[in-house]
Amino acid sequence: MRRLHRAALLFVAAAMPLTACAAGSGGTGQAGPAAAPGQGDAFTLTVWSNYSGREQDEVTKALESFKEKFPNADIRHEGSQDDDKITAGIRGGNPPDVAMSFTTDNIGQFCSSGSFQQLKPYVDRDGVDLGQIPDAVRSYTEYKGNRCAMPLLSDVYGLYYNKDMLAEAGLTAPPRTTAELLDFAKRTTKKAADGTIEVAGFLPTMLFYANRPPIWAPNFGAKWETPDGRSGLASPEWAAMLEFQKELVDFYGHENLERFRAGLGQEYSTDHAFHQKKIAMMIDGEYRTAFLRDQAPDVRFGTAPFPTIRPDLYGIGFTTGTIMGIPKGAKNPGAAWELIKHLSFDTGTIVDLANGIKNIPSTKAALADPRLEVDENFRTFIDLAVSGKLQGNPVTPIGDAHIKAIGDFATSWQAGKVPDLMAGLAEVDRQIDDQVAKSGK
Amino acid sequence: MTTVARRPRDRRRVLDWVAVHSLGLALGLMFALPIVFVFLTAVMSDSQAFTEDLWPREWHWGNFLEVFEQAPLLTYLGNSLLYSGLATAGMLVSSIPAAYALAKLRWRGRNAVFMLVVGAMMLPPQVVAVPLYDTWSGLGLTGTLWPLIVPYFLFDAFSIFLLRQFILTIPQSYVDAARVDGCTEFQALARIVVPMARPGIAATALFCFLYTWNDYFGPLLYTSEKPDQWTLSLALASFKGMHHVQWNLAMAVTLLIMLPAVVLFAFAQRSFVRGITFTGVKG
Amino acid sequence: MVATLERVDAVRSAPAGGRSRSRARHRLTVLAFLAPAILGFALFFGYPLVATVWFSFTKYDLINPPEWVGWENYAYMFSDKLFRVAVYNTLWFVVVLTVARVVFALGVASVIARLKSGVGLVRTLCYLPSLAPPVAATLVFFLVMRPNEGPLDSLLGWFGIEGPLWFADPVWAKPGIAAVMLWVSGDLMIIILAAVLDVPQEQYEAASLDGAGPVRRWWHVTLPTISPVLAFGVVNSIILALQLFTQAVVAGSAASGSADVTGSTKVLGFPENSTLTFPVWLYTQGFRYFDMGYAAAMATVLFVISFAATALLVWRMRRASHQEEGG
Repeated sequence: MRRLHRAALLFVAAAMPLTACAAGSGGTGQAGPAAAPGQGDAFTLTVWSNYSGREQDEVTKALESFKEKFPNADIRHEGSQDDDKITAGIRGGNPPDVAMSFTTDNIGQFCSSGSFQQLKPYVDRDGVDLGQIPDAVRSYTEYKGNRCAMPLLSDVYGLYYNKDMLAEAGLTAPPRTTAELLDFAKRTTKKAADGTIEVAGFLPTMLFYANRPPIWAPNFGAKWETPDGRSGLASPEWAAMLEFQKELVDFYGHENLERFRAGLGQEYSTDHAFHQKKIAMMIDGEYRTAFLRDQAPDVRFGTAPFPTIRPDLYGIGFTTGTIMGIPKGAKNPGAAWELIKHLSFDTGTIVDLANGIKNIPSTKAALADPRLEVDENFRTFIDLAVSGKLQGNPVTPIGDAHIKAIGDFATSWQAGKVPDLMAGLAEVDRQIDDQVAKSGK
Repeated sequence: MTTVARRPRDRRRVLDWVAVHSLGLALGLMFALPIVFVFLTAVMSDSQAFTEDLWPREWHWGNFLEVFEQAPLLTYLGNSLLYSGLATAGMLVSSIPAAYALAKLRWRGRNAVFMLVVGAMMLPPQVVAVPLYDTWSGLGLTGTLWPLIVPYFLFDAFSIFLLRQFILTIPQSYVDAARVDGCTEFQALARIVVPMARPGIAATALFCFLYTWNDYFGPLLYTSEKPDQWTLSLALASFKGMHHVQWNLAMAVTLLIMLPAVVLFAFAQRSFVRGITFTGVKG
Repeated sequence: MVATLERVDAVRSAPAGGRSRSRARHRLTVLAFLAPAILGFALFFGYPLVATVWFSFTKYDLINPPEWVGWENYAYMFSDKLFRVAVYNTLWFVVVLTVARVVFALGVASVIARLKSGVGLVRTLCYLPSLAPPVAATLVFFLVMRPNEGPLDSLLGWFGIEGPLWFADPVWAKPGIAAVMLWVSGDLMIIILAAVLDVPQEQYEAASLDGAGPVRRWWHVTLPTISPVLAFGVVNSIILALQLFTQAVVAGSAASGSADVTGSTKVLGFPENSTLTFPVWLYTQGFRYFDMGYAAAMATVLFVISFAATALLVWRMRRASHQEEGG
């Protein structure tokens, strides 16, 4: 209870200078929340997202459901707009009313630069219960206490395993610890006489498929920052993660592994290695269940929380998702907020969209909604989402520079090019801290 | 063959012919093979595309039709033609006189100005786009193709540079002769230089057309929020969605995008040939 | 164009006068020919250049007004590890691409120029690839050079050679991209071909009368005559190499197994930053790490160095060609 109190105080303290600053900057700043439109008002909202094809159609359907509340609203949804475009639109003074971003990497910039307007005044005015949103999702939609975005569904990561391939190796249940994962990986791997890999149990290659450092980190208890807010990669947890990877790399042989990996199909194509039964286990998001069902119905697979380094951590995982905000200079912020609120909190809309594009709902009510289509494999991810143990993306003002830095380092390390692990990690820390210092935020 | 190769000189000529032509054939094949892969991928099923299996198991000719159903390609074609056509026309109008002034007129500061033209190509386009976008946005022209077209009517460093180099290859004596005959500089340009530099001009125009035809960065920056303004090259990207890539359709669109360019090239080729004959006759 | 025409007409109708008047008229002609270019140059080059140099001395996140920081951005280059990597990669491309592209294009053009039948076909085949959008062209090569099962490795396999990992191998990724660039160099080929075919016939005839064979004719007549176009090829290749962006991003992204061809920043430079070119890093810093000030500083450095190098090159070439003309 006391800790919660302190956290709340911290939150208020962090938010104060920001609001004060915005108010002080006069005409360009935000005076307060813009008024909501009247029920029967006719207005137009432009929405930019990075969706395309079928997913874009599903999101458009969700946007159209807004008309149940505001029948005379006209919503224009433009897909294929990336973050560069959003920034250009803001700078040029012709941004959309609502911007959706696929990556949570840029939330630090969006909030700290004022690209996305602060939503706290709206949240306060309307008495919105942010507690409806799982903690981890809440953390990746704000930066240093400045809430400038809301979630539109989320992705949750876990273990995928090929049941037949595990059974063939005499394994009946998925691994629960990373030590077991290592053992299972070795037992499900098939090598030719010359060492060539035919089937790999599990791939440790960083930045390949969903093997991204933020996705792995929670399961090794690895933290991005030290308590005083500096980059904290030179830690035993990160070292343990890299040691785990190295052990597996050494088992395959780096050369063999690289040759095998380079021949595998693309992450979002039908010749994905897991679809092709070339790997027995992998870490991936919930959306993969839909891909497997559509593109590789013959793969008998199961899902489970990703193994952890310590048994007590089990059930932890990584989450990320699409975020949306009101860009600076939006023509109709009051109505934009109503649309965002609708998409973030209207249970029916969230459930329909989650069913449509096979993502995880981002409110507790929608997660528990019986209309949500959940099969045995999707259930794992829903359970993870409601567990309260998920962790989000580390939020920084430098985009994903920190992820690239550690990813590059892991690649060198796996190739055997790093003599001193801890010294190397400390060097990466310095690199990240320099970049953050340079940003001045 | 044997009748031709009776004398040693003839035999050498035959050998020469064979060597040059086999080399040409090999080069042609080398260039063509990857295009064949594009074609084979374009007629594959979605599940086969980009697998190690290179020959289509089934021939999906319908892919070419499907792309028309998935996207309003004719609208994009119209936009692409507008952008490339106007840009090329504008480039010719603005660059030929400038290139002539840099190549055949004598004036102080000519070399310095030429270096500035070359220098203009050296700023990374990603950076230049930042201030320029703000300007066009201030004029209310973002969301259209005009920010991409208008500059060609004034200044295109690449074309001026290329045309200047071509005009330099025309012997100065031709131009001087025209001047002695009482031609103004404009007449010298129109009557002597333009006809003689025709292959170069055709090549530059072709270049300009194709550069704009394949331009992805420009249309993305200025028109991505207005799908009715999209060009073909921008539309190509929409076949690569975030969560699913339809390689076969993407390759089918690639071929369709290339088609008008190939037709154009076929025509442009003729003007190269005519240019040569012209110079020959003139000489 | 209308303006140009009118000015020239005005000049022509002006009464012929003394030397100073004709000089003034000449100056007006030059100005008329260059007027649109001068305006366009100021708007689309001068202004962005000044803005870029100004940004380079500021902290600028693209949203808030730039904030003066002096030489800070330039100083940071010395502690930025990937800056050095990017400089190396781009220099590699400048050297390799410039030489390879010009020699290759000249070679192919020379072969085509000598063909007597099938000219149109071969010319079209050689040119065809350069019509492919850069993203598609790079993906095609990625497919063809895919390790183990790709057609190129199968072909090498027949000769008992185990191909490298190409785009997934830090040593071979850059040559792989260079191969893509050569495949699409049909445009330069056509330009050189046009120049070769443009060489006045009488010059060849004169050389033949002197008893020169085809090789000597090529060396003494063709090469010197087309040297301005070759100079263009060199400068054009340097610029192409300096600005290499799309192909590097697509190759790295595809080889890393990420289908997101527009490039997720995390895999830019894959493998092991061997495809992280200067513009890619500049773009990443400016638009992905939101430091346009630093990106502008990098752009300024790139501009100054490449401009100086090219100026030197053009100047020396001009001197060489003047000597040719004189001799």
